[in-house]
Amino acid sequence: MTQQDHFRMGRRSFLKITAAAAVASAAGLPQKAYAAKDRQLATLIDLSLCDGCPDRKVPACVGACKEINKNKIPRVIDPIPEPWPRKTIENWSKKQDVFNRLTPYNFIYVHKAELTVDGEKKTVFVPRRCMHCDNPACVTICPFSANHKNKNGAVVIDQNSCFGGAKCRDVCPWEIPQRQSGVGIYLHVLPGLMGNGVMYKCDLCHERLAKGKLPGCIEACPREALLIGDRRAIEQLAESRAGRMNGYIYGKTQNGGTSTFYVSPVPFEDLDKTMVKKPGQPDMKTDVKRRMADTDPLAKAVLASPVVGIAAAGIMGFLSKRKDRAKKEA
Amino acid sequence: MTEKILTEKNLVVRHSTLELIEHWAIALSGLILLVTGIFELPVGKRYYIVNVPGLGWSADFITSLYLHYAAAVVFTAAGMFHLVYHGLRGEKGLLPRRGDLSESIKVIKSLFGFGEEPPMHKYLPEQRLAYVGMAFIILMLIVSGLVKTYKNIYAPDMSYPVLLWATWIHNIFFILFFLAFIAHMAAIALRPNWPMVRGIFTGRVRLDYARHRHPLWIAELDPSLQKNTAPPDELPESVDMAKQETEEEG
Repeated sequence: MTQQDHFRMGRRSFLKITAAAAVASAAGLPQKAYAAKDRQLATLIDLSLCDGCPDRKVPACVGACKEINKNKIPRVIDPIPEPWPRKTIENWSKKQDVFNRLTPYNFIYVHKAELTVDGEKKTVFVPRRCMHCDNPACVTICPFSANHKNKNGAVVIDQNSCFGGAKCRDVCPWEIPQRQSGVGIYLHVLPGLMGNGVMYKCDLCHERLAKGKLPGCIEACPREALLIGDRRAIEQLAESRAGRMNGYIYGKTQNGGTSTFYVSPVPFEDLDKTMVKKPGQPDMKTDVKRRMADTDPLAKAVLASPVVGIAAAGIMGFLSKRKDRAKKEA
Repeated sequence: MTEKILTEKNLVVRHSTLELIEHWAIALSGLILLVTGIFELPVGKRYYIVNVPGLGWSADFITSLYLHYAAAVVFTAAGMFHLVYHGLRGEKGLLPRRGDLSESIKVIKSLFGFGEEPPMHKYLPEQRLAYVGMAFIILMLIVSGLVKTYKNIYAPDMSYPVLLWATWIHNIFFILFFLAFIAHMAAIALRPNWPMVRGIFTGRVRLDYARHRHPLWIAELDPSLQKNTAPPDELPESVDMAKQETEEEG
């Protein structure tokens, strides 16, 4: 078996490496393995396999994603209410076909990186979408909890409760979520004064997962460059593939860890140099810190503060009562 | 007991130093929580608050979160301390009594010139009602805030219904806290209440004011003084008392 053959391990073969999936596979229902809501999943994106679908106008993963989500955004109100005082409106409803960046209508795109490695010219295709981080600030800091992390690792925005304030995009190191103005609950509250639409991004096809189906991009990839499975198994597979190709992993430590593991034969620092960060087109910096991690010690102090308050009250209450008794006796 | 009549100074000790510390710890940290809570909404950029000198950080949600957490440590510890300490000591002066609602209506009417104020204890009846309301709001903010904080560190994937409850309780009680704060400030702005304001800064209020407006409290502290106190229906208008005090202080 050649190294390439290893990389081209099929979905069915891959499933066999995870115990739970193996049972399901033996039963002839491999996809049911994904339906378990509490099972932590991860995805693997093998850049040594992705070729950007040169024979297609739109890469297969992008096309499948667009097809699945084509009716996700409701009809955009016309005219879109002008927000006050900053008049920013983000309207992609008339540019739904755009597929070379993230938009509210396009949750995945493929970046083409042309670079020279060890004097050799290489072209690497990098599918980009939400990383589904382990502790995503976009989830924890949403003021309405419209964004939630499922037990299986999927980070999902509830479009019915999102006000489109774009806070999630501001705190995302890759600025993944994209806003569509003129839709959503804000239209029924104070459209001119608060809210500005709904944020959209990849939700790991969580509804398909619940039905035992694969995410669209993974199902559509003709080269099986994208895989999904048990978190630990995917992590191990990423490690072994990276080891075999003397390559690199991205997503394991970035932003405190994610459930997306990129494997690449070229360093991600080099890939990042081919990316100019623009709206809807994230870069791939390797030193991505989880900013909220710095607030964790103070957050732990908050959790301890009721105990401190109660303990202090207990001690001081006891002492003051003793003092009162002494005064009375005197 | 801290409360004490200082006849020669014409003062009554209304609050202990500890109570003043509790009040100001909760008040100041609560104010910081209000402001940083607002800045946890995406308003900094939208409303150009970032352009206000000194508020450039208002659109940085992580910086606001630092401040929110720091204030929450003080707010939560002080709130819990207050509840347990005074509970242990059996101090119930701020808890509502039977008839407080109707008494409150009388007091409020009197503020607008309708009828006389009833004789009062250390706290006004509406103060006792407001206290319970504020305490409940604070308690709900603390509990929901603790759930959200736990989620931020340990459980971004916590039960969605639990998270939604915590989030919306926090948001709704944030609005109620804001309204309660405005009502608190409005109460202070009413002239008859001015003599009490010095009490929350110094712990002491004027004895003549207390004898006229809080005769039931003074009677508890020193029954002999009550004998010298005119019955409520012969008292001058509390507005006049406040005016008198303001003039004397001025």
